[in-house]
Amino acid sequence: MSTDALRSQVASKWQSSFLRINRNEPGITGLLSFSQAWDVATEFVRPKDLNVEKPKTYDMNVVRAAYELVNTSRRLPVLLETFLDQVHQKFYLIIDEIEQFILKYEQTSDPQVISKLVSRMLLWYKTWMPAEELGPTISSAYTLTFQTRVFSALDSSFVQGFKTLCASTLPPSDPNAKTPAPDSALWEAFETLGLLDRYESIIASVGYEHIEAHVLANCAGQWAEPMIEGLRTWMSVKIVPWMLLMYARGATNTDDARAMLQNVGSRFDFHMAKTLCDLRAREIFDIIIDFPESTGALQDLKECLQRVDQRAALVQALRKGNRKRLLHPGADTRLILTQYVATIKCLRIVDPPGVLLFKVADPIRRYLRERPDTIRCIVSNLVGDDDSGDSLVDESEPIQPLQQPELEDYTDPHWEPEPIDAGLAFRTNKPSDVISTLVSIYDSKDLFVKELQVLLAQRLLAITDDNSEKIEKERRNIEILKIRFGEAALQVCEVMLKDMTDSKRIDGHVQSQKSSIVHPTIISKHFWPLLETSDIIMPGQFQALQKEYAREFSTFKPDKKLRWLPHLGTVHLELQLEDRTVQADVPPLEAAFIELFSEKNVLKIEELIEGVGSVDRAAAVKALLTWVDMGVLKEDGEGMFRLLEVAEEPSSGARETARSITAAPELLPITSVQQQQAEQMKVYWKFIEGMLTNLGSLPLDRIQTMLRFAPGYDQTIEQLGTFMEAARREGLVNVKDGVWKLTQNA
Amino acid sequence: MEQLTTSLVPPRPSNKTAPANSTQQVAGSVAKRLSNELMTLMMSSSPGIVSIHRFVTYAAHPHSSLKSAFPKSDGNLFEWVGTIEGAPGTIYVGLTFRISISFPPNYPYVAPTVKFETPCYHPNVDLAGGSICLDILQDKWSAVYSVQTILISLQSLLGEPNNASPLNADAASLWNSPEEYKAQLMRHYRPIKDEST
Repeated sequence: MSTDALRSQVASKWQSSFLRINRNEPGITGLLSFSQAWDVATEFVRPKDLNVEKPKTYDMNVVRAAYELVNTSRRLPVLLETFLDQVHQKFYLIIDEIEQFILKYEQTSDPQVISKLVSRMLLWYKTWMPAEELGPTISSAYTLTFQTRVFSALDSSFVQGFKTLCASTLPPSDPNAKTPAPDSALWEAFETLGLLDRYESIIASVGYEHIEAHVLANCAGQWAEPMIEGLRTWMSVKIVPWMLLMYARGATNTDDARAMLQNVGSRFDFHMAKTLCDLRAREIFDIIIDFPESTGALQDLKECLQRVDQRAALVQALRKGNRKRLLHPGADTRLILTQYVATIKCLRIVDPPGVLLFKVADPIRRYLRERPDTIRCIVSNLVGDDDSGDSLVDESEPIQPLQQPELEDYTDPHWEPEPIDAGLAFRTNKPSDVISTLVSIYDSKDLFVKELQVLLAQRLLAITDDNSEKIEKERRNIEILKIRFGEAALQVCEVMLKDMTDSKRIDGHVQSQKSSIVHPTIISKHFWPLLETSDIIMPGQFQALQKEYAREFSTFKPDKKLRWLPHLGTVHLELQLEDRTVQADVPPLEAAFIELFSEKNVLKIEELIEGVGSVDRAAAVKALLTWVDMGVLKEDGEGMFRLLEVAEEPSSGARETARSITAAPELLPITSVQQQQAEQMKVYWKFIEGMLTNLGSLPLDRIQTMLRFAPGYDQTIEQLGTFMEAARREGLVNVKDGVWKLTQNA
Repeated sequence: MEQLTTSLVPPRPSNKTAPANSTQQVAGSVAKRLSNELMTLMMSSSPGIVSIHRFVTYAAHPHSSLKSAFPKSDGNLFEWVGTIEGAPGTIYVGLTFRISISFPPNYPYVAPTVKFETPCYHPNVDLAGGSICLDILQDKWSAVYSVQTILISLQSLLGEPNNASPLNADAASLWNSPEEYKAQLMRHYRPIKDEST
């Protein structure tokens, strides 16, 4: 089929090829010498099986001449192709080996296996590497082929092993262990094989993980000292030399190395700061509990926060911690307050402008507002009524007046704009003292002043003996509190204190006229918190004593009249029984009961209650049990009590020591202001009263919307309706056609 | 052109601390202050009003007679209505006056505008317009004053007018003859009606 043209074309091709290879040699000698040279050349570059063949030595002159010949015949590219083909063909040798190593690694998990694998691969690589004389083209083509094949053969197990291997080169966290000698040969091997570039992220992650592990191992729970300096030193001593091996390879001098490390170094430093920051954020709740022993950790946190922006995470962690561990019914109010105060102090170290504090404090404050005994807790702390551990207030803190939230003072030369992450409701609160912060939980300090009065009343009335030091102590407290709350707010307390000293004076006078064993505390009804009234009428000699005293008093102060609060106070009794005398300090009710027994030995509980006027049955039983405990009375059957004129053998035998028991009166029964609900309703009533006074009459829904002005108003309109209805029954308001107005004569 | 010049005029000196074009922020803080004042006013013990616990006395102290104020509507904290009762022992005893208080946006740096809504025959009160001549509402105003102090001052102004600078010269001249004065007072006085709002 071939045409002449084709035939001549093939012939000319053949001719030119022949000429090229024969190189104008006579006959076919050129051809022969070429095929000899080709054989030498291919044999020289042939990829050899390391396991079978001994590395041969070649006469380099022969080889070089052979290449020269191949080159002049322009057969080098073909040679290269042949070589690469051979590499591909023989590569199964390497892959077999890699698989063996990896299998072994999977069995032993020893990174040294990987290390051996790497050096073995390096050996293969070097052995197969064409001689340099052949020029860069061939070696780079070879390297590319080799690496491509190797990478495709390396599976995830290798990556795993490689990571472990890298990690094993790191200095161990344990400072006592020896740092492994820098194995630069290994790193060079990595680089030669192209592993460094390919697995750079893995190496970096090895570094990160190492730093993380170190930070966690060394810093967790260590809050006393700032750690960050130590960590930085550790980084520069231990990590930087390691980094030098890979990131600063080829650096000739320190400046070079520094420049090369700068980027990656700051990444590592950032990672360290972030790890530490995350750790501290996780621990923040406990750090606050430990404050001030944990100041170091807080300083770390401050520094870290400047480096990494983890403020939101910190706030979240702390809020979560608070929600989970603090703001639940199981936590004591005192505890919450203590933690709150510690939080304030801690976050002020971490973030002086107070944005973090504002964000964290908000839920705590809201929660505290709902607690019924928060005010009591704060106030009892204010007056130093703390039998329970440390005070919330730092004694070294100067006493200062309460700070009201001020308008921003734009004329202040030190004024600064609000921080960038401050929320809308954020108010720059200048570092105010702890008490001001606590008091500001509530919108009005009046609640505190009221509670203070109640507390003072309790404490003053609890002073039984002639104990002027205690009164002095209260006076000192009040003086201090005056600085905080202002003179006017504490006027009532002043009067109460004055009543105490006046009582003593009056008592002294009355006693001088006619000596009595009654020593009353005379209080001005209007200035004292409501005292629980009681209908006890003291029987027998007690009443006589009271009357006698009252008579003396009214001759001394004709314009005043004593009204006894017979259920308050204590009575010192000496009971003379047939075989013994019992001494006791008891509350008046107990005294009244035992007085009744002086006439009759056996009494029913109903008779007893009748004998003292009227008293709650539970209280009566309690009072009687006090005497039963002392072995003076005995319960005979249901509700019957018998006086033991002759002591019975105590069945338990343990009572003997408790001859002179003081039946301490419990917390004085003062109608406490702490019933938040009632207190709040009173506040709302003032608002309702205010709006009805000024706006005339209003329908219910208008009252409801206007109550928006009352802080913390959260009642539904139905609740308001019930409340208004109650007020109407009290005669305070009336309603007509759904419109409410104040009663005119109110 | 005129617009241009007016906008170039610097704000008045009294506005220095709180610029007239007050931002939301400033308005917010004024509102905060006002609601605090309302709270204090409501919580301040106001004898003469029966409290829910019914333990209250009527004392013959001038400060104990009724004075109160409340925002006019729930939407606007800047307009208040007040009520003042004439103190016992003064010629105004038993009379109740309604006043309006309107707060400027730069309160408390600038005094609120206070006016009598009930016609008030008084040397220092404009009978027709209800404007009041009282130093603390004008040049003597200070940011430490509050609604409460204004109410107290107005109440005592009723009993002790400043006849030296009368707005109502007629009343000033009659002040010393109480009978005629009272007659004039009652002729103008209108008791507060229930204006259902």
